[in-house]
Amino acid sequence: MSTSVSARELGLALPPRPSRLAPTLTAVVVGVIVLWATAGLPIDWSDVGAIPGELLHYGTLMFADPNWEKLPRALFETWRSISMAWIGAILCVLVSIPLGMLAARGVGPVWLRLPLRGLFAVIRALPEVIIALLLLTVTGLTPFTGALALGIAGIGTQGKWVYETIESVQEGASEAVRAAGGGTAEVTRWALWPAAAPALMSFALYRFEINIRTSAVLGLVGAGGIGSMLANYTNFRQWDTVGMLLIVVVVATMTIDAISGAIRRRITQGARMRGARRSSKGRQDVVGIR
Amino acid sequence: MSETVAHYTLPPRPRTRGRVALIVLAVAGFTVLTCVPAIGGIDLDFGAIIRNWSNGSSILVQFLQPDFSFLPRTIEPMLETLQMALVGAFFAALISVPLTLWAAAPTNPNAISRRLVRAVINVVRAVPDLVYATVLVAMIGVGVLPGVITLFLFDIGIVVKLVSEAIDSADHHYMEAGRAAGGTQNQINRVTALPQTWPLFANQWLYTLELNVRISAILGIVGAGGIGRLLDERRAFYAYDDVSVIVLEILVVVILIEVFSNYLRRRLI
Repeated sequence: MSTSVSARELGLALPPRPSRLAPTLTAVVVGVIVLWATAGLPIDWSDVGAIPGELLHYGTLMFADPNWEKLPRALFETWRSISMAWIGAILCVLVSIPLGMLAARGVGPVWLRLPLRGLFAVIRALPEVIIALLLLTVTGLTPFTGALALGIAGIGTQGKWVYETIESVQEGASEAVRAAGGGTAEVTRWALWPAAAPALMSFALYRFEINIRTSAVLGLVGAGGIGSMLANYTNFRQWDTVGMLLIVVVVATMTIDAISGAIRRRITQGARMRGARRSSKGRQDVVGIR
Repeated sequence: MSETVAHYTLPPRPRTRGRVALIVLAVAGFTVLTCVPAIGGIDLDFGAIIRNWSNGSSILVQFLQPDFSFLPRTIEPMLETLQMALVGAFFAALISVPLTLWAAAPTNPNAISRRLVRAVINVVRAVPDLVYATVLVAMIGVGVLPGVITLFLFDIGIVVKLVSEAIDSADHHYMEAGRAAGGTQNQINRVTALPQTWPLFANQWLYTLELNVRISAILGIVGAGGIGRLLDERRAFYAYDDVSVIVLEILVVVILIEVFSNYLRRRLI
């Protein structure tokens, strides 16, 4: 071991080093594009040095001594945002499960499947906030219309998840139902639905988590809830109240994420056995999603 | 035939009725609570929508007749939107690498610094994107800069969380080999963990780029630059034929970016 001999000295032919040309070229091209984009932005770069100081300054104003006087009002508005998110999620799920099922291969006819998938793709491509904004200009700015907008804006992604889940259900049960003389409706009810339901319920809760964030954003544009309150106090420059509101938003979002995440794990992975550790690998198999 | 069947005893049906009833009750109860205006729930007022409809239908008619002569004026803000998206994603990508290695257990055995990074990332992720933009615009002033910072923060949260979780759940034969060969944690990370993780990073970076294009399109609504500002301005003027052009343009650009990003993803991974 003490005398190390290189491969070349032994007369062994080393494989040629792989060419670095392509990665280098890619890096150069990406670098040039990023430089162009950075230079093209109307930013006064001399300001950028002052930003850490500014953030610290406003950070102290907001969080050094948050103003808890308005907390009851903030909790009221938080519940309003949560309500918007919940009603929106219910609406979204109620619409997207049947539509998504009809869009799944083997369930809906082609003439229905393709337009539905196109509709989902278009709704998905547009930012949810823009869809909601347009709907709100038609229906008026209230928490209820905010919930409706959330419900419609989420259909694109939710519908896609539904048909992908249905399509990834294993064939066996469907074949069995068909062999027993069942039609498409029976196959859907007795083979596809039982296999897909846990994943679909889990996605429904996930939609609620997404809506919590989006409903705060809709509040910023005037639909009510914690977002509206935050926008108001930011406009008034009442930083101590803004700090309190941000803390409320973060705590509420993280709490709901934690609860909803725990329920989702319970739905997709089943009850935790006492004294047994759940393997992390099982997760994908149970959900059955690519 | 029926006589033979009689000999088998069927297993008892699992009793789930009580549990199902409990779940349905809980969901229904929560839903009812969200519909009580007195505690902040929403007021299910269908009448208001019908009253607004006459007003809304004229907007819809205008919206369905896009005025394409407005298109040239949208090109520059759209370019600004794309630049913001790219710059935000790029700087987030740079910072995400060390943060991710800090936040994953196999690459950072020190529990204290790992928990700290994870906690910060979780807090960063809990704030919605436009909330950042609103507060930052109030701090720094109207312009592109608060928008870029918003995208940057948002992207870091996503990349660090998803990639560090992927590192946590993967197997690490190479890292064990590195440790057996006596490498320090830094050497192991650089020589074994990073090369294994690049595809994951690339995947998430492209994903954040896609998300950024969508988000930066709406950042302007709160004054953070890009096409959203024009959209909000035309909306305030009730020029819905222009709004519809902008929405169509966003739709086209988002789809193009997605196609491009899917192509890159197939090439890279």
